[in-house]
Amino acid sequence: MSFLLNKIVPALRDVFNVAVMLFVSFFFYSHMGNTAVTNIYIGGLQLQWGLTAAGNLFSIIVLVLGLLAIIYSTSYMKGKERLGYFYFNFLLSIGSMLGILMSRDLVSLFIFWEIMTWSSYFIVIYSGKNVDKRGLKYFIFSAIGAYAMLMGIVLAYSYIGSFLLDDVFLSFPALGYYRQISISILLMVGFGVKTAMMPLHVWAPDAYSESPMSFTVLFSGALSKMGVFGFALVMFNLLNPSSQIIYDVIGWMGAITAVLATFYAVVQKDAKKLLAYSSVAQLGYIVVALSINTYLSVMAGLYLAVLHAIFKGTLFMAVGAVEKQAGTTDMTKVSGLIRKMPWTFLATLISIISLAGIPPLGGFIGKWMLYESLVSSGHYFLIIMIFLSSTAAFLYCYRILFGLFLGQEEEETAHVKEAPISMLIPMLILAGLSILSGAFPGFIFKPVQQAMLNFGFGDLLPKLNWWEFTVLFNAWGDKIVIHNIWISIIVVFLVGLAFITIKGWKNQRYVTTKDISSSGEIIRPEDNMTFQQNFYRPIERAVWPLMKRQIDDYYHAFARGLESLFEFTRRIYMGNGQMYALFVVIFLVILLLGGSQFFGF
Amino acid sequence: MNILTEILGAIATIILAFTVGMFYGGTVRRVIARLQNRVGPPIYQNFIDLLKLQSKSTSIHHGAMQHMGPVFAITASITSLMFVPILNGEGWFWFENLNFSGDLIFLLYMMVFGSLGMALGAGQTGNPNSAIGVSRGLSQMVGYEIPFVMALVALMAQFHTTSITGIMDIQSESGTWMMFANPFAFITAVFAMLGMFHYAPFDIVIAPAEIASGPISEFGGKYLGVMMTSGSIFAFVKLVLYVDLFMGGASNLVMLVIKTFSLYMIPVLWGAVSPRYRTEQAITYFWKWPLVFGFIAIVWAIY
Repeated sequence: MSFLLNKIVPALRDVFNVAVMLFVSFFFYSHMGNTAVTNIYIGGLQLQWGLTAAGNLFSIIVLVLGLLAIIYSTSYMKGKERLGYFYFNFLLSIGSMLGILMSRDLVSLFIFWEIMTWSSYFIVIYSGKNVDKRGLKYFIFSAIGAYAMLMGIVLAYSYIGSFLLDDVFLSFPALGYYRQISISILLMVGFGVKTAMMPLHVWAPDAYSESPMSFTVLFSGALSKMGVFGFALVMFNLLNPSSQIIYDVIGWMGAITAVLATFYAVVQKDAKKLLAYSSVAQLGYIVVALSINTYLSVMAGLYLAVLHAIFKGTLFMAVGAVEKQAGTTDMTKVSGLIRKMPWTFLATLISIISLAGIPPLGGFIGKWMLYESLVSSGHYFLIIMIFLSSTAAFLYCYRILFGLFLGQEEEETAHVKEAPISMLIPMLILAGLSILSGAFPGFIFKPVQQAMLNFGFGDLLPKLNWWEFTVLFNAWGDKIVIHNIWISIIVVFLVGLAFITIKGWKNQRYVTTKDISSSGEIIRPEDNMTFQQNFYRPIERAVWPLMKRQIDDYYHAFARGLESLFEFTRRIYMGNGQMYALFVVIFLVILLLGGSQFFGF
Repeated sequence: MNILTEILGAIATIILAFTVGMFYGGTVRRVIARLQNRVGPPIYQNFIDLLKLQSKSTSIHHGAMQHMGPVFAITASITSLMFVPILNGEGWFWFENLNFSGDLIFLLYMMVFGSLGMALGAGQTGNPNSAIGVSRGLSQMVGYEIPFVMALVALMAQFHTTSITGIMDIQSESGTWMMFANPFAFITAVFAMLGMFHYAPFDIVIAPAEIASGPISEFGGKYLGVMMTSGSIFAFVKLVLYVDLFMGGASNLVMLVIKTFSLYMIPVLWGAVSPRYRTEQAITYFWKWPLVFGFIAIVWAIY
């Protein structure tokens, strides 16, 4: 419905876009409690659309983030070309995401999934740079995912005889073990591409950093959550405990994703790339949490999914603001922006604290639930992996704050001004949500609990109002009292701040960052003293065995192998050297491989 | 009335931690001096230093984050102190504070709050040495946190609780200290402790002869004073946490001082006779034998 509404709007003007988004959100929320389903028959095929509680949770992410991102892009996209193209695909992807969440049958799920992939692909290649390389990488992986998904859907149909999700859920346990496993794995490969699970992640860093930041907010915040939504569907509605091995494998894959992507993020120079790898790692946590399959862990996973949309949305917006104002996000070129862009810094700081899981903000609540669920369900080695990843995450958290905002103020960035107000407001709203989710996590717990009912978990949450969730328990009965933590931190912080500010305030003055103790050497204004190159060289040296071979290299080797094979075949059958572009060839091969299996079946 | 006594109890705890921590600092200076064949300062030297720092007037700052950096540090120290049980058993109302409001996972994260805040403050000063120090410190943290967490996970797995008071209760009921109930966890935790206290060979963060005290090089006067206070309290918190987890806690203040001091001497004495590691050596040091012991500890805990 909203998809159609978006489609007929050839959005060209900013105000119009915001109005459309507001209208869609309003329209959506007024129908929120509506559980009615719409049946559509096309040539004997029954399609069913309706909103479940799980879809509801994710649609909140999509709509809130979409609305803020579109407000943000009014300034961000100012002065760029082909705005109609951009906004059309932007709204189309939002619409198709809502479509995915509302589909109650596998066919419309697949169709909306493809629309989402296509519209996001068009935005990835919007900049026009590196289309053949980065854009195609995203496209190839999406194609692999889509074919896997299609095969899964067709298999399910041939065994069950219906595309409707309700029928599939109902008759799935009656299938044989191997049929269950094969359908689940095929579907999960499809969803895993969007969540950027480890062997399938290589498209994500490029695609996230190539597309305009105002879309990356949505790309990393909401679009990747569609994969999480799909995972949740497969894991809780299809699989059952007899296939425990799948849960374990998925959990370990998520943990490996989290660890490796974190280390890649640590060594990045570009803030956009850093955040992109960090997104991959954070989705790893979410997948781990879902795969544990206990009440607390699933709650942690869905909570983290919401939280990730909030804080990663803020961070991509802030980095976009830096890109817009300073011209680059290369951390070796920009530094010392804190006095020029204080509000952007504040939003970044809050969301970094939330991302790192430092108490008392929202990220900590999610991390706490994740750890408690891991340790109380006996996944002792998984918890070590997750902890390694989240400790190493402090490194890139600091890197991005230091690289962009702290350090010495250089002459090259003297002209930079604070971002325009329409970019600041969405950032600060999201940063405010980060704080709110730490103080009153109940407002996220409520919809999460509804979604979990939908996934077949009981209603274990105490019947409280959303502002009354102040004590959290784990499975062993250990607890944290959130408001005591808040009180302690705030009181000590304010007392300390008052002491340090009042004492000798009159005698203190600001001096520039060039005026530092440097063993007698006088630093001139044009001297660049910032330490930015090879910031984490020691840790690179320490973990080099992990970083030595990137998975990218394996894919490239695979591509080269295919290329030579194809070259060989062509020499036999064609005789003359009709040259194709390298990536087109590979793409065709993959199409043929996927297609032949599909038709062969 | 209730709130008033709680606040008084908190203040009493802070004063205790501060005093003990400062005296430990002085003692360490003297112990190291004796090992190096010097006389060394009196053990109340740290109080004199603090008085001097606080009586100086600070005339410059480099911006808001530098101003707040030490406040972040002391917030983390005092908040962690509030959540760590000082003494076990009944009748110690004054030191109870918020012991039952948080658990080990919370404490793990609370303890890095301060160093990240400090790192932000150090970052804004623009001194390249500060940034180098921070980069080293965070890298080293990745090193030692892993064995530390392995030790904690071993304890949690063995006794099915994540709360500190729960682990203390188990020890007082069974009468066996954790360092004997799961010796490998204790060994792993001691390895982690070497890194956690930043004494040689792991003093790469401040590395006086290389990077001019690193992160703190631009802080003076009241800032350095607050950081010194915070550091003393934080050292006490870490020691008490170790005593609670592995040595059954302490039933009175004398026992507490004896136990914490004997633990504290491990990194200090080790450091007094060691040179300094390079950063990547310091990281990989924690990823060799400590991980093996941590692995054994977890397997021991499960079976």
